[in-house]
Amino acid sequence: MAFSKRNRRIATYFVRYWPSFIVGAMFLLVTNYLGLLIPGHIGDAISSMQAKGVNTDSVLEACKDHALAIIVFAVGAGIARVVSRVQIFNAGRLIEFDVRNELYDRLTRLSPAWFSTMATGDLTSRVSNDVNFIRLLYAISFLHVVNTITAYFIALSKMLPLDWKLTVICLGPFPVILFAARFIIRALFNQTKIVQGELSNLSSQVQQNLSGIAIVRAYAMEKREKAEFALINESFVRANIKLITIRGAMQATMTLLAGIGTLAVLYVGAHRVVDQTLTLGQFVEFNGYVVALAFPTIGLGWVFSVWNRGVAAFDRVLDILDAPIDIPDPEDGRRLPNPEGPKGSVEFTEVSFGYSDDEPVLKDISLAIPAGSTVAIVGRTGSGKTTLARLISRLWDPTHGSIKIDGENLTALALREMRAEIGVVPQDPFLFSMSIENNVRFGLDSLENDTTIQRDAPQLSLGSGEPLTRREQVLQALKIAGLDDDLKTLANGIDTMVGERGVTLSGGQKQRVTIARALIMDPRILILDDALASVDTATENVILDHLDRIMQGRTCIIITHRFNALARVDQIFVLDEGRIVETGTHDQLLESGGVYSELFERQKLEAELEL
Amino acid sequence: MSDNKRTGMGSTFSESAIADMSEVTVVRRLWKYLRPYRGMFFLSLVLLPAISAVELLQPYLLQIAIDQYIVPRDLSGFHLIVLAFAGCVFSQGILQFTQVWVMQTAGQRALRDLRQAVFDHVQSLSVAFFQRQPLGRLMARLTTDIESLQEALASGMVTMIGDIFTLTAIVVILLWKDWRFALASFVVVPFLLALTAVFRHFMRKAFREVRTKVSRLYSHLQESIAGMQVIQLFVRETISGNEYREINAEYRDANFMAIRFDALLYAVVEAVGSVTVGVIIWYGSGAVVRDVVTLGVLVAFIEYMQKFFVPIRDLAQKYNFLQAAIVASERVFELLDETDRLPVVASPLTLDEGPLEIEFDNVCFSYLPDEPVLKNISLRIRPAEKIALVGHTGSGKSTIIQLLLRLRDPDSGVIRVNGIDVRELDPIAYRRHFAVVMQDCFLFQGTIRQNITLDDPEVSDEAVLEAARSVHVERLAARYSDGLEHLVGERGQHLSSGERQLVSFARAVAHQPDILVLDEATANIDSETEALIQDAVESMMSRQTSVVIAHRLSTIQNADRIIVLHRGEILEDGTHQQLLAAGGHYATLHRLQYREAG
Repeated sequence: MAFSKRNRRIATYFVRYWPSFIVGAMFLLVTNYLGLLIPGHIGDAISSMQAKGVNTDSVLEACKDHALAIIVFAVGAGIARVVSRVQIFNAGRLIEFDVRNELYDRLTRLSPAWFSTMATGDLTSRVSNDVNFIRLLYAISFLHVVNTITAYFIALSKMLPLDWKLTVICLGPFPVILFAARFIIRALFNQTKIVQGELSNLSSQVQQNLSGIAIVRAYAMEKREKAEFALINESFVRANIKLITIRGAMQATMTLLAGIGTLAVLYVGAHRVVDQTLTLGQFVEFNGYVVALAFPTIGLGWVFSVWNRGVAAFDRVLDILDAPIDIPDPEDGRRLPNPEGPKGSVEFTEVSFGYSDDEPVLKDISLAIPAGSTVAIVGRTGSGKTTLARLISRLWDPTHGSIKIDGENLTALALREMRAEIGVVPQDPFLFSMSIENNVRFGLDSLENDTTIQRDAPQLSLGSGEPLTRREQVLQALKIAGLDDDLKTLANGIDTMVGERGVTLSGGQKQRVTIARALIMDPRILILDDALASVDTATENVILDHLDRIMQGRTCIIITHRFNALARVDQIFVLDEGRIVETGTHDQLLESGGVYSELFERQKLEAELEL
Repeated sequence: MSDNKRTGMGSTFSESAIADMSEVTVVRRLWKYLRPYRGMFFLSLVLLPAISAVELLQPYLLQIAIDQYIVPRDLSGFHLIVLAFAGCVFSQGILQFTQVWVMQTAGQRALRDLRQAVFDHVQSLSVAFFQRQPLGRLMARLTTDIESLQEALASGMVTMIGDIFTLTAIVVILLWKDWRFALASFVVVPFLLALTAVFRHFMRKAFREVRTKVSRLYSHLQESIAGMQVIQLFVRETISGNEYREINAEYRDANFMAIRFDALLYAVVEAVGSVTVGVIIWYGSGAVVRDVVTLGVLVAFIEYMQKFFVPIRDLAQKYNFLQAAIVASERVFELLDETDRLPVVASPLTLDEGPLEIEFDNVCFSYLPDEPVLKNISLRIRPAEKIALVGHTGSGKSTIIQLLLRLRDPDSGVIRVNGIDVRELDPIAYRRHFAVVMQDCFLFQGTIRQNITLDDPEVSDEAVLEAARSVHVERLAARYSDGLEHLVGERGQHLSSGERQLVSFARAVAHQPDILVLDEATANIDSETEALIQDAVESMMSRQTSVVIAHRLSTIQNADRIIVLHRGEILEDGTHQQLLAAGGHYATLHRLQYREAG
C-alpha cells in the first residue's frame, strides 16, 4: 500500500508523542499478560477439584493458592490498565491540543480570498467536530489495535500448545468474516461522509437563519424558514438512520463472531474431554481464552469505524492546514523607513486586480499619494474603491503591477509590521464581544505585547505633550472619533460590553469605535472606507476636524460619497469601472467639468431645487 | 495575559453550569418528544429482557453440558445442548441488532422533532432576545447540544435499562442456585458500589468542567473566524492565538482529569470482576469438595460473575454520555423555556383590506431602565403619506421603526393601525404589510432572484423583473452570465455593499408592501446610483405609505412631512419648506450639510 501524504501526516503525530504511545502499549501488554494468566489458574483449580477424592486438604490448599494468584493478577492487571489508558488517552488529547492550535495559527495566516471560498458552517464543523474525530483516530484506534494484537498474541501462545486443532476451529472463521465485513466497512465510510455533509447543511441553514433574523422577521418569513429547516432536518435524520443500520449490522457481525468461537469450544471441546485428549480444567481454561478474546474482537469493529471517520476528518482538516498562503510574508521582510518629515506616501504602478479571473475590478491603476496628504477616492458603487483600499493593506495582492509605501515595495515589507502602520476602518464595522475599551485597544495591545512586531507602541495625544495612560489614550481616541458624548449615555462608559458583532451599539456608534481602534495605533496611513456613512453631518465634521489635527504629517485616505468631506481634502481620485478617470482637488475637478462635477452638480441641484 | 482571561474574546460566552433542572424533569420533558414513537420505544424495551434471557441462558447451558455430559463422559443428546447454545448466540445477535435499530430510529425521529421544536421556538422569540444572545450560543443549542443527545443515544444509553435487568437477573439466578455461594460471590459488590458513587461525584465535576471549557473554546474560535480580517489588519494574530492556546490548554487539562477518573473506574470494575473469580474459586473449592456444589455450577458462577461486571464497567462510560446528554438537554430546554417574545393575543384581529393609517399615541420606550429612548411620541401616519424621520444618531429614529414593525412593544402608550391596537393583531400577518430596507442589508446564501423573492410564492416573476428593472438590479445582474440566478455567496459577500443594498431595494419593491420602510437605506450608495433608484423609490412611495430615515437630507426633501427627532422627542414636524422657513433644528442641520455646496 502506498504510504500516502495523508498517512505520513497521521504518522507525524504518532511520532511526536511516541513515548506515551509506547508506554501505553507496554502497559497494555502487561495488562493482557496478567489478565490471561487467570484462565490457566481457573483451569488448574478445576482440574484439582475434579481430583477431590485423593486428598481433600491438598486440593483445598492448591485451590487457595490459585485463588490468591488470580486476585494478585487481577489487581496487577488493573493497575497496568489505568496506566495504559491514561497514557494513550492523554496522548490523544495532546494531539487534539496541537491540531487545534495549528488550525488556529493557520487560520490567522489565511487570506480573505481563502475564507470566501469556505462556508462558515462548514469551517466551524471542520475545526470542531472533525478535530474530535481525529483525536478518536489516535486514542481509540491505537488502544484497540494494540489491545487486540497483544490479547490475540498472548491467548494464541497459550491456546495453541493446549490444542492447536481446537484453536484453528475456534478462530478459523474470523479472517473469513472479517474479509467479508470489508464491504460493510466501505458502506460505513461512505455513509459517515454523507452524514457529515448533511450535518454541515443543517448548521449552515441555522446560521443563515439566525444571522438574517432581522429580515426573517421584517418579511414574515418564519413559516417558510421552518418548512425549509424541516426538509433539511428530515434528510439529516434519514442519513443518520441509514448509518445506524450499517453500524448495527457491523456490531451484530462482531457479536456473532465472538459467539461462534464459544460455540466451537463447547462442541469440539466436549468431545475432546470425553476422548480424554483434554481435561475438564483445560476445557474451562480454553473457554476462558475465547471469552477473553470476545471484547478485543468487538473492539476491532470499533477501530474500523473510528479509523474511517478519523481519516475522513483528517482530510478535511488538512484542507485547512495545507491551504496555500496566498499573501506570503517575505522572509527577512524589510521595514518601513522612518523619515523626519511627513510619512505614508502610497504609489500604485499599473495595478490590475480581479477577485476572479474573468471579472477585472481594477484596471491599470497608476497613482501617487504624497506623504502627509489627505486624499479621497470617489466613484459609483462597484467602481473598485474598496478593492483599492484592500490592496494597500495587502488583504489581496494585485494580479499585475506594484504598490509602494514610502518607496518600499509592499510585497518586500514584513507583512505584519507593515499592517501595524496602516489604520483601516472597514465598511462593515465589526466589533468583538469585549468591552469598548478592549475593542479600541485591539491593535494597540498587539504593538505592546507582541514581541514579533518591531514597532514601539505609540503615544496618542491631542495637543499637550503630557504622556497619557493607556486608558486615557482610549478615551482620547474615542473623543477624536466623536464618541465621547455617546459614552456618557452608556452606564458603564468604555467598560460597556459589546455584544456579538456589537449589537447593542447603533451603526454610527460602532463605526466610531472602529475609527478609534484605528487611530490609537497612530498609523502612518489611515484608510476610512465609507466609515462615516452612518454618522450625521455634524458629527462627521467634528471627526474630520479632529483628523486634520491628529493626522498631521501622515496620510489619510477617505472613501466617501459625501461632498461635505470631499471639499476638505488635498486631492480626489475619481474611479469609474476600475479606472482612474479624474484626479485633482475639489475645485479643479469642478472646473474641468468631468464625471466629478457631474456628480456634484446633481447633488447640489437636488439640494437647491427645494430651497 | 491573565487580564485576557476576563476580557479576551469569548469571555462573554463562557457558559457556567446553569440552573439545575432535576434529572427527572429532564427525562420527563424528553419523554414528551419520544411519546409519538412510544410503540417503537416499547418494542425495543420489550426486547431488552429477551436479550438478557438468551444471554444468561448460555452459562446455564454450559453448566448442564459440564454436569450432565462432559463430567459423566456421555455425549448422547449433547447435540441438543449445542443447538440450544447456537440458538442463543444467533438470536442474541439478531435481537440486539433489532433492539438497537428500533430504539435509535425512534430516538432519531424524536430528536428531529426536538430540533424542529427549538428552531420553531427561536423563530418566535423577540428581537431583543437575539440582541442579548450571541449567535454562537444559539447555534450550539441547535447543533452540538442536540448532537450530544444523539451521541448518548448511540452509545446505548437506553440499553442501560437492559443492563440493570441483566444485573438483577444474575443476582436472582445465583441466589436461587445457591444463596450462600451467591452471597460469597457478591462480597465485593457493596465495596464496588460505594466506590462507583464516589467516582461518579468526581467525574460529574470533571465533566462539567470540560463542558464549560469547550464552549469557551468554540466561542473564541467562532468569533475569531468571523472577525479574522480585523485580527489580521490589527496584527492581533499572536495575541489572539495565545488567548486561544490558553483556553485550549485549560480544556485539555480538564480532559486529563476526566480521563484519570474514567481510567480508574474502568480498571477498578474490571479488576473487581477478576477478584470475584478468585473468591468464587476459594470459597467454591470447599463447596465442590463437600459435594454441595457441582463443577458445572462453579463454572456457571464464574461466567455469570464475569457477565455481571461488564455492564457495570460500561455503566461508567454510558453514565458519562448520560451526563453530557442531561447538561445538553438542560440547555436546550432552557432555550425552549425562553419566553422573551411579544405577547400574541389568543384570537388576533385581522385588518380589513385597504389603506393603513397608523397612530403613535403617547408612546414611551427604553432599552435600559432609566434611559428613555422615546418620550411621549405622538404621531399619525396617514395612508399614502411620505414621512421622513430626521435626527442625530441616537435620537430614536430606528427605535420608532422597531415599534412600527412591532418588533418591540412600547413601555407605555399605544400604537394603533386603523384604530386597532397593534397588540391585538397577529404580528406575522401584520408585518406582511411592510417591506423594509435596512442599513445592514443582509443577503441569504442563494441567487439574486431568491434574495428578491425570499422564496415567497406570492412574489411573481413579473414582480421580480419589474423590481429588478426599477432599482437597476437588472443592470447589475447583466454583468453575470447567469443574470438573476447569480449566486451571491454567504451573507452576499460576492457583492459589494452598495450592490447588496440595491438587491434589498429590489426585494422591498417586489414584495409590493402597503408601507415601505427605509432605514438609512441609501447610506452605502453613491450619489449617481442613488439618483437612478431615486425615481423608482419615489414612484413606489407615491403608491403607498412610506417611512424613511436618512442622514442625507437630499433623499428626503420630497417627503410630505419631515419629523425631526431629538433625544427621543419630536422637535419639529412639517414639510421641507416649512421647516426651513421656521429656521429651527432642521434648518441648522440642512445648512450644516450644505455649507460648502450652498
